[in-house]
Amino acid sequence: MSQFDDHFDEVTGLLFLERQLDESRAREVSAHLASCAACRELLHALESEGVWLRQALVAEDESIPAHLISAPERGGAHWGWIAAFGLGVGGAYTLWSGFIEPWIAQASQAGFTQGNVLTMLLFTGAFWKGWDAMRSLTEFLAVATLGTVAIWLLRRHWQRVTAIALVMGAIVCALALPPAAQAADVERGNPSYTLPAGQEVKTDLIVWAVRTRIDGDVDGDLIVWSQNVTVNGHVKGDILGWAQELRVNGTVDGNVRAWAQTLSLGGPVGKNVLALTGESYLDEKATVGGTMTMLAGTSELSGKVAGDLLVLSGDLSINGSLGRDATIRGGQLTIGPSAEIKGQTKYTGNRQPEISPGAKLGSPIDVTLRRPGPDYSHLAYYWHQVLFWGASFLFGLTLLLAAPAFFFDTSQASKRIGPALGFGALFMFAVPTVAIIVCFTIVGLGVGIATILLYAIAVYAAQVFVGAWLGEKLLGAGIGVGPAIGRLALGLGVLHVLLMLPYAGPLAGLIIRIWGLGALVLALHKQVRPQLAAA
Amino acid sequence: MDRHPTTGAMSEAELAQVLSQVRAGDNDAWGELYRRYAPAIFRFCRRLLPAREDAEDATTEIFMKVRQKLGTYDSSRPFTAWLYKVASNHCWDTLRRRRIRQDLETGDLDTLPLEHPDPSQLERLQTEHTSKEVRTGLAKLPDRARMALVLRYYADMSYDEIADTLGVRRAFVGVLLLRARHQLRDALSASGAGAERASAGGKS
Repeated sequence: MSQFDDHFDEVTGLLFLERQLDESRAREVSAHLASCAACRELLHALESEGVWLRQALVAEDESIPAHLISAPERGGAHWGWIAAFGLGVGGAYTLWSGFIEPWIAQASQAGFTQGNVLTMLLFTGAFWKGWDAMRSLTEFLAVATLGTVAIWLLRRHWQRVTAIALVMGAIVCALALPPAAQAADVERGNPSYTLPAGQEVKTDLIVWAVRTRIDGDVDGDLIVWSQNVTVNGHVKGDILGWAQELRVNGTVDGNVRAWAQTLSLGGPVGKNVLALTGESYLDEKATVGGTMTMLAGTSELSGKVAGDLLVLSGDLSINGSLGRDATIRGGQLTIGPSAEIKGQTKYTGNRQPEISPGAKLGSPIDVTLRRPGPDYSHLAYYWHQVLFWGASFLFGLTLLLAAPAFFFDTSQASKRIGPALGFGALFMFAVPTVAIIVCFTIVGLGVGIATILLYAIAVYAAQVFVGAWLGEKLLGAGIGVGPAIGRLALGLGVLHVLLMLPYAGPLAGLIIRIWGLGALVLALHKQVRPQLAAA
Repeated sequence: MDRHPTTGAMSEAELAQVLSQVRAGDNDAWGELYRRYAPAIFRFCRRLLPAREDAEDATTEIFMKVRQKLGTYDSSRPFTAWLYKVASNHCWDTLRRRRIRQDLETGDLDTLPLEHPDPSQLERLQTEHTSKEVRTGLAKLPDRARMALVLRYYADMSYDEIADTLGVRRAFVGVLLLRARHQLRDALSASGAGAERASAGGKS
């Protein structure tokens, strides 16, 4: 008994004509056709409609335009790229002259004499010795640009395997670059590690352990990941430490860079100290030969700092001696009776500093009090918001002109609010976690830092895509790049107004970033998916 | 047998040689390839994109892409199939970017019932409308319906290729094509094309 005794439907007829039915079903249709004139008539009409459509579409009704007769040349720069390059250069110059240069000048004036603040904070010394070969961010950017140009020139010759090989090669290069990992004594504690007094490590020392105790000497850098670290010996290079508690009683000839819950310095440090900590203590016997930079919850400085002091801290208590200027931002500043500050002191905080009458100050403290949260009464606040809007718009505009397809794809992905928020939340927290874990493997430090930088760019870009979506919601869908620019400007403007709202603003900011980041992930997945499917 | 529309026949051996020369950077070979295929691709774009200028731009951009991606072309497949795949992806991306697709195109297709056609009316429709009117009616269809008809009946793409280009399940392509045919029939019936045909002077 055929299922087509009561005539087949039109879809079945079309699929039969186009040979898309499976064999058994096609036989059933054929059998039914033999005995059903109505269905034969329908099938004939559908078939002739197909021929009719094909003829109508293939008909050469228009000649090819004259300017299309010659083949297009490759290699010509698209106007969008040129415009984007110009905007990028202009934006970079504005950013440099308006923000970074004044900040560096201010830092130099305050005595941070290492010139490039970024280098000082991240790339100098033991943080990653591979950067020493690069020497400056400019060189790095130059190399990156050359690499990008080379990839662009070779892109026609790429096969997918080549692309994978390139990625793998880049990872291998990243692994091979840091000489610190090559010329180091690597120790894993079981569960603790101790370098006994009287022993000396002739090269850099890298330690993973639950507890680490260095009583001997290290003729290089000490790089340590440990719950508890105590250094009583002499470290002739730098100390780079991640620890819950890091205590340095011995002599350090180089720098100390610490990421720790608690940092205690009890001995002399020849160069600079950089501390990202919950609590920082500079004991009375401690001395710092260079500058001291701290981001800490609570800080107590009882020792001596020869250079400048730059502090971002919840509470800061100074009872020691500062050789040069101090720039302090924090909740509460207390300057004790035995404190001595030879240079200028600038303090920005919520409360008036408590200054003991016995304290010796080179000049009166320059105090700036600020109220917590945005200061809606000051015009400068609104001006800054306009600047932030302008920066985000410039960024979005560059993205739109440089990669319009990707921009529209991502804006389109913003419409899928649920998946975008889900993926965004996942990547918002997973990426930095993974990047930090990669950093902790030392050899993956370059990869980890690059990931974090890309992540920061992606999080910043998130507002652009949500802004574009919002602009379109408000003005309706537009056609082409021009209307998209207007919608982007409006959408970002509304978003920035939203972010200014008390209490709700920060929450809205988080949601916008998660949402936009998720849309970015969806768009990237879409870009990658066909290649993976075809590979 | 490669049934995709092109201008001027080129044997498989000749095409293979031209492609090889293009890969080696021969500009003359590239010009030859372009002359053979650009008119068909232009007409393909013309069927899909709303304005002639759009089709001109798209043709140029598609051939730029073709030259860039030629290294990824698998010569065991017909060249024209690959070429139309590049072209259809480009046009679909262009349409998506322009955001002029109707919301009707996605979910509603599965649920809207298709009225069973009267074969005699269907044949009458075919005899009463010119090719030009069909193309005019085609331009009024939603993007995805138009894409489906052009990919199938102009570029001669398989159901798999159409499904891949439009991002739908293969099993859905037949429904999509049939729905597009119905929409075209409706557009032609509603256009009052008979009067226009009288003034235009018959079929093309």
